[in-house]
Amino acid sequence: MNNSNQLKMTVYTSLFVALIAIGAFIVIPIGPVPIVLQNMFVLLAGILLGPVWGLTCVAIYLLIGFAGLPVFAGGTSGIGKLFGPTGGYLLGYLPAVFVTASISKGLGKKMSSDIIAMMIGSLIVYAAGVPWLKIVTSMTYEKALAVGMYPFLIGDALKIIAAAFIAKTLRPVIKL
Amino acid sequence: MKKIIDINNISHTFDDGYMGIKNISLSIFQGEFIILAGKNGSGKTTFLRHLNGLLLPDTGHLIVNGQDVKKHLVQTRRTIGMVFQDADTQIVGDTVFDEVAFGLENLKIKRSQINEKVTQVLEDLNLFHLKDRNPHSLSGGEKRKLTIAGILVMDPQVIVFDEPFSNLDYPGTIQVLTTIIDLNRSGHTIIIATHDVETVIYDATRIIIMEQGLIKEDGAPADIIRLLEFYGVKEPSTSKFGLGIQPWRK
Amino acid sequence: MAQVTPFTYRQGKSILHLLDVRCKFFIICLLSMSLLPAHFLACFFYGFILFFFFKNAGLNILSTLNHIKYFILLLFFIFIARALTMKGDIIFSFYDLSITVQGLNEGFLVSFKFFLVMLTGVIFSSTTKPSSVKSAVQWFLKPVPFVPEKRVAIMISLALSFMPVILNQAREISEAQKARCADLQKNPVKKIIRLVLPLLKKTFLSADYLVLAMESRCYSDDRTDPEFIPSGKEFYFLAASVLLSLGFAWL
Ligand SMILES: Nc1ncnc2c1ncn2[C@@H]1O[C@H](COP(=O)(O)OP(=O)(O)OP(=O)(O)O)[C@@H](O)[C@H]1O
Ligand SMILES: [Mg+2]
Repeated sequence: MNNSNQLKMTVYTSLFVALIAIGAFIVIPIGPVPIVLQNMFVLLAGILLGPVWGLTCVAIYLLIGFAGLPVFAGGTSGIGKLFGPTGGYLLGYLPAVFVTASISKGLGKKMSSDIIAMMIGSLIVYAAGVPWLKIVTSMTYEKALAVGMYPFLIGDALKIIAAAFIAKTLRPVIKL
Repeated sequence: MKKIIDINNISHTFDDGYMGIKNISLSIFQGEFIILAGKNGSGKTTFLRHLNGLLLPDTGHLIVNGQDVKKHLVQTRRTIGMVFQDADTQIVGDTVFDEVAFGLENLKIKRSQINEKVTQVLEDLNLFHLKDRNPHSLSGGEKRKLTIAGILVMDPQVIVFDEPFSNLDYPGTIQVLTTIIDLNRSGHTIIIATHDVETVIYDATRIIIMEQGLIKEDGAPADIIRLLEFYGVKEPSTSKFGLGIQPWRK
Repeated sequence: MAQVTPFTYRQGKSILHLLDVRCKFFIICLLSMSLLPAHFLACFFYGFILFFFFKNAGLNILSTLNHIKYFILLLFFIFIARALTMKGDIIFSFYDLSITVQGLNEGFLVSFKFFLVMLTGVIFSSTTKPSSVKSAVQWFLKPVPFVPEKRVAIMISLALSFMPVILNQAREISEAQKARCADLQKNPVKKIIRLVLPLLKKTFLSADYLVLAMESRCYSDDRTDPEFIPSGKEFYFLAASVLLSLGFAWL
């Protein structure tokens, strides 16, 4: 990779760090559970930036949040978040972005493969987040699922479809 | 007068085959105040980006202080500073002070020297009281001045402005115009691409008009001013009413 | 990141504002960790210290609580869940649900700890300049192998400077769409696309400009190191926090 391209990826990745942070605040009112765009930007980062830069992106987002910049939901921050009820979801973004990016890349960056990749990515986030929530709050599994997963599934499906379309439109524009 | 930039027959074709600039040749001397005018899409921005090596010519040569730009990118970029159109998208630092320090940090200058230099430039441009502010919270005029400060710390000989007055209100425009004129008086060569010829023409020493990637006119303001509208650039109203070139600032 | 989130840096001259960011960072990590296994007494003691520094740093406690009200609600749920699920001496029972003394204690302690850790984060982010956080991250990453800490630092700066730009653009886009009656759009997928696609197009364009601006200012990975200005009180703060965490462990 030449120098200028490296700089471009550095800047695009930083842009996605910002988008993921802002994504916690952009709310689209649809139905009873408003849609927050954060996890969609995580998945899009994977699809558009690829496995390595995508992982870098999420790692930097988590790093600045744990280091004390108020970029987590509600403008919160700090290492304590890691042990909090939502710590699992945050950490789950790491494998999620990497797997999503790898699948999308491996299957040839088509719209259908992007959708599959993002579905698996979302499930990884829940696979990390829900047990964590259960342990920290000592709820039962049924309760943890009812609070920490089911209400968001429909929104996730909508976001994934939208994201696949967005990725398809953007790829030629940003030449990644 | 000392020649700083020597441009010899440069052309640039974009990836899609469109020719952004065609066979441009000219020389730029120390202390000049040049207005670059022309319709939307006439190639002004494309031309300016060649001056500090952001775009490289496909044919021809661009010599800055006797050195070929292609081979001396860092040196060229220190000599020729560039202020872009949209201030918000060129801010890298998260405080005013850090923003100005960015260029010097890239050159790996010692921290103590950076602090000294940045403080001095901020004081010169009357921005020192804002040094801890977030750049994005500044007014339009202050933001534009901040981007100028970020260039100025690198001690450039030439400062290039692409649409420096866009999106500025009247006080903002005056603020920036005054800064630019002061820079010219202190010996900097100024090149401004603008649709707002009226604002700067009084202080300019030369106007260049572009059309479709070509240089169509190049000369003293008094000679060119009547031709502006022919090339789709608004002629200053004082000139239209037969009053010649008047200062825009009262 | 002005106005982006409620807990962004506020200018000030309190001792927490002036403390070397690396020291502050270390202390906060240490105390947050040592709080996790701590007992009631330790938590209350820590709460008092926190309260003192909140006042000292000029932060408004009520508005902070207001900003984290959803989090507090979540803590309340956690409290209830614990209270209902712990086995122990039953105080009250209703059908097959029963509240126990141990449950109440546990639930309260856990929620209170989360609350304190959260406030610790708020104190840190309100009294520390984002650029100092970035410098501290760079400093702590320096000994970590395979991590280009200078590149990471630049990316943090860039992300910080993108945030207000993105927010502005999001606001512009959603206003422009309201003006064109986009609210009538019922298809939720289209709703998302109509907001996000133009937003991404615009921000990527800004990113392209930023690449140019950085190049024209001689961007290089090999740059001057950040500077730290200690206040001179770092040693006392470090010593106090180590003692405190030892005390928590002992209690
Ligand atoms: N990256 C690119 N790829 C293809 N064509 C381009 C590219 N950048 C610019 N152009 C085209 O080159 C021409 C000159 O553009 P340029 O931006 O230099 O004009 P300009 O004089 O600065 O216009 P304006 O007054 O609107 O700023 C335009 O027709 C533009 O569409
Ligand atoms: Mg232009």
